[in-house]
Amino acid sequence: MTQHTQNPLEHPEVQLANGRAYLGSFILSALLMTAGLWLTITHAMSPFAAILATSLLAGVAVIIQGYLLLHMDLSHAQIWHTVAMVLFLPLFVVTIGLTAWMFHGLYERTMIMPPAMSSMSH
Amino acid sequence: MSASTTQKIDPNRLTLWERHYPGHDMISTRTFGFWLYMLTDAMVYAALFASLGVLSHAVNLAGGPPPSAIINPVYAYGETITLFLSVLAYGYSMVALKSGSRGGVVGGMFVSMLLGVVFLAIAATDMGHLFAQGVVPETSGFLSIFFTILIYHALHIVVGVVWMLVMIAQIARDGFSANVVYRLINLRLFWHFQAVIWVFVFTFVYLQGMVA
Repeated sequence: MTQHTQNPLEHPEVQLANGRAYLGSFILSALLMTAGLWLTITHAMSPFAAILATSLLAGVAVIIQGYLLLHMDLSHAQIWHTVAMVLFLPLFVVTIGLTAWMFHGLYERTMIMPPAMSSMSH
Repeated sequence: MSASTTQKIDPNRLTLWERHYPGHDMISTRTFGFWLYMLTDAMVYAALFASLGVLSHAVNLAGGPPPSAIINPVYAYGETITLFLSVLAYGYSMVALKSGSRGGVVGGMFVSMLLGVVFLAIAATDMGHLFAQGVVPETSGFLSIFFTILIYHALHIVVGVVWMLVMIAQIARDGFSANVVYRLINLRLFWHFQAVIWVFVFTFVYLQGMVA
């Protein structure tokens, strides 16, 4: 956090706005999402590879947006926002990953799989 | 005893406190508090995405349509570009705030708000088509979480649009006071965060749904 300034418009969190960064974030995010859509609708990859590739594209887009849009950096004005985000990310990933992993394991052991799923597991 | 503690201290050169207290930084304190709130909101999304990971399994289709049968990539892509453009417009609004341009801030926010409404219109059209085909949340576990995520995100867009309307009124009434400025920064955090969350929604719900 920063020291107080009398004029609110001179506050560092106001002055960090950057038109080029916002435009760059828009262009790169739109390109990455377009690439993900193209991979999906053209079936250019196997389903598993497409899931990995689209996850990777989303990860890159989120990092770009985090830096260019949300200003997640180590500057004096933003460092505690960045620290909170870095500490939050493992919780986000673990919540989703562990839940999905546990239930998919449970389903394999307890559920009668539909024919399509049974053939995929062999 | 270390050498440093045995050195003689000159009281005239020692500074124990700042002579001119810079004051409590109300803007940073409140934006940081709001940022922590946004991260807790993101944990709600984590719970929703975890549920999606569980309920998108084939055993939860319950005889209903699979994701690939109901997802329309045209609507999803249209929502993506519209939301990214709205976020860009709000970004330019914040650039105008740096120089205190009231017209620039309100104009950017107005464009951003309009694009938010377009986003909601596309989402409503998409969901309306699905409902017309009998694809409703109560059909299966997967459809329940599918619609829950889309509606939860759309509610955020509604909140953002209303918030922008309120801020336009507050700028007209109070100008760029400290209270208005910190609220504009909080709205920037909120609105830009919607784009980040949408990347996950577009990828995990739409793209990977079509693959599955």
